[in-house]
Amino acid sequence: MSGETATGSQLQHGPMGAQRPGSPFNSRQLTRLDEALTLSSKESGLTFSVYVGELDAPTRGHAETLFERLADSSVLLAVSPGQRVLHIVTGSESAKRLPNRACALAALAMRAAFVTGDLTGGIVIGLRMLADAAGNA
Amino acid sequence: MSVVETVLVFAGIPLAITLILAVGVFGRSATHQPNRYRPGRPWTFAPAWYVPHPDALAHTESPRVAIEGSTTPTAAIGGASGEW
Repeated sequence: MSGETATGSQLQHGPMGAQRPGSPFNSRQLTRLDEALTLSSKESGLTFSVYVGELDAPTRGHAETLFERLADSSVLLAVSPGQRVLHIVTGSESAKRLPNRACALAALAMRAAFVTGDLTGGIVIGLRMLADAAGNA
Repeated sequence: MSVVETVLVFAGIPLAITLILAVGVFGRSATHQPNRYRPGRPWTFAPAWYVPHPDALAHTESPRVAIEGSTTPTAAIGGASGEW
């Protein structure tokens, strides 16, 4: 299940089966990612999505431009491993449930995992912390 | 010792030991997880945007639709950033 978006990025949910040569994640990591995304979205009622790839400078501006395509109740986690930068973006609905302090705490935990090279673990822990902070829908 | 024996003993054996150690150290990660991210190395993969499974979003529309056919822009309110 994948489709090209206007930004040329691959849009997908769930594992794609066997690891494709162009994917940074293997199928087990994609399963973890999908589980974390689906569970945290289901629990909190917010729509989480994760963007992994290069961000144009200024990176915060690019992450916010990406967020413009989503809904008010969405939370975007934009991770650029090449530039070693991550952004969490909330909208008017999701910001009520997720204050900037909660986002900063999740960003800190993600940072700690990314430093050791654990990309999947960092994204999963970030999603869990954000979902916990948002509480139940 | 002949020349061939000398070469085998003083070049062949060290080379064989080095190869065995190299395979033991790097072999597993090379076959097991060739795409593993290492901080500081360049990132060459195409951007990917992962969204939750539509079944998990009973009350809202899947972001897949919104991302593919962007309608009205949504304002970004808050969030956080980090670097590593």
